Amino acid sequence: MLSPLELPDYRLHSPEVAARFARIRERPVVLSVRNLKKSFGPPGQEHVVFDNVSLDIRRREFISIIGPSGCGKSTFIRIAAGLDEATSGEILLDGKAISGPGPDRGMVFQGYTLFPWRTVKQNVMFGLEMRGKSANTAESTAREWLEMVGLSRFEDSYPHELSGGMKQRVAIARALANEPRILIMDEPFGALDALTRCKMQSYLLQIWKKVDVTILFITHDLDEATYLSDRILVMGVNPGGVREFIESPVPRPRTNEQFLLPEFLSVKHRLDELIHAPTAGTEDEEDRLPVIKLTAAGDEVE
Amino acid sequence: MELPANRRLQLTILSFILPLALWAAVSYVPFLWHPLVHITDPGESEFFVEGMDIPRADFQKQNADLIAAGSKPAAGYRVNPVYFPAPHKVAAAFYTAFTTPPRLPNEPWLHESLGHSIRTIFFGFLFSSLIGLPLGILCGTYRFFSRLTEPFVEFFRYLPAPAFGALCVAILGIDDGPKIAIIVIGTFFQQVLVISNTVRKVDPALIEASQTLGASGWRLVRRVVIPAAITDIYTDMRILLGWAWTYLIVAEVVGTMSGITFFINQQARYRNFDNVYAAIGMIGIIGLTTDMALAWFGTILFPWKRKIRRKSHAVPVTMTAKQNRGEPLPEGPFPVRAPDSFTSLEPPVARDASARPLET
Repeated sequence: MLSPLELPDYRLHSPEVAARFARIRERPVVLSVRNLKKSFGPPGQEHVVFDNVSLDIRRREFISIIGPSGCGKSTFIRIAAGLDEATSGEILLDGKAISGPGPDRGMVFQGYTLFPWRTVKQNVMFGLEMRGKSANTAESTAREWLEMVGLSRFEDSYPHELSGGMKQRVAIARALANEPRILIMDEPFGALDALTRCKMQSYLLQIWKKVDVTILFITHDLDEATYLSDRILVMGVNPGGVREFIESPVPRPRTNEQFLLPEFLSVKHRLDELIHAPTAGTEDEEDRLPVIKLTAAGDEVE
Repeated sequence: MELPANRRLQLTILSFILPLALWAAVSYVPFLWHPLVHITDPGESEFFVEGMDIPRADFQKQNADLIAAGSKPAAGYRVNPVYFPAPHKVAAAFYTAFTTPPRLPNEPWLHESLGHSIRTIFFGFLFSSLIGLPLGILCGTYRFFSRLTEPFVEFFRYLPAPAFGALCVAILGIDDGPKIAIIVIGTFFQQVLVISNTVRKVDPALIEASQTLGASGWRLVRRVVIPAAITDIYTDMRILLGWAWTYLIVAEVVGTMSGITFFINQQARYRNFDNVYAAIGMIGIIGLTTDMALAWFGTILFPWKRKIRRKSHAVPVTMTAKQNRGEPLPEGPFPVRAPDSFTSLEPPVARDASARPLET
């Protein structure tokens, strides 16, 4: 029997990582969240989803948001995208308060949301057309982006002819072709199988490295958050809000081999602690199923 | 569960053959029904006339009486009532109904009657759609228009269109005006509600996605809402056109009777029931072929709805390997499929890998 690993403190940064964060802190703030609160219901008996969320995201950072279901992480980024309204507080993009959705905040959804009546190329052209680009400009830009995500050969296919991973690459190209200041991704790889998801994570890092874009990424996958992010925003429920904003000690560039680095495991362990921390209440009772034993005595599996 | 294609075809054909077989059986097998006796020789009966159809019981009773009185019994054979013609007669009527000249010189030929009906339907449906389609889309998109119109439309659609017959005649005269109006009344209100419902069912995620890409206002409606709903709207229109046909028969008895309804009534009056059945059958055939033509036309209009596309995007395996510089192709049970199988919903992972985007 092996004893659990002795993991280093996730807050300890190697000199390289510390230097990198110092450089990041010198960059301008792209997205600034100020005392954001979201609640439902009438005043007095309102249900608070989250409160007091404040953070600054700097240019070309990769931020993940992770948290148990119901913590409002999706609500948070929907507010950031302008698809929902906050109860109080504000979100500034490049210092200007946002109102409503706009092309400066690109969004990639879990459900792909490609326009089924448009070919792959026409999907990527959509945002450009909306911004009034000429058809020729839009088309050549769309081609460049499809080249970038490796789907040039499928430019005249319709979305239903593509696999999930390919659809999501089109969705990423479509969002990025608009040159957004920030790319907001809501569990983009959640519907993909493990192998495709792994590839998509590596694609995303490759794209992020080459494009001037800041990424705000929602996931419920601890590995995914640790593998991709500079900083990980952990949200909780009851009360809803930010639990911790972890600065990842995992060095860059990220590779698959890092999954077994002590830093990687320490971050993952910390995330696990935060997310699965027993909240006051009856969680244990809920976890234990009232299953009656239907096997003979002595016929045990563990 | 989906049946294999040839099995589907078999069943489709069978679905027509079964009722036809039943009809043929009742028509050609005498003991199944044939409740009447067609008199070929009245014998010495005082009541029977040659060519008369008499209920079987009456025929037997009369013959028994005749035999008892020592007179010559009547002769005849069993037939179905005249309103139940045999399949071959109706089949022949599909042709002869067109070639038989009308009895009166001012009456229309069958093809003229059919043309009249199709014209009435066309204009009725056109006028209804000219307003109903945009209004339905508007109601489906904007709550404002929905609240403003739909409650009244909901009320109005319960008013039976034929109830407006007398009113339409009073306002629009006795010719085609009131007929078209009745089809419009019967179709329009359903149309607004059905279309607005369809538009409301557009995936909100698509609308949100387009908003984050900069779409808003009228452009959002034109470039996202309408294209997203258009295939379902098209299907709705096909169904609504079917309903318009049912209103046609009502509409054509308003004012001066016209079109196919006139023909059917006239033929029933002459007791040419084979023509009546043929005319009714023609309505079905026209309706079905229109619908099938529209369905086919839909696949031309909306190429993204086509499940099978012959055009292949798959790349030969050699090219796949060449493009795939950095990463080895995934090994194991991922067949590199032939181009034909490209339409499957989940393309093989091998293709996905072949299209990897960037050099690390």
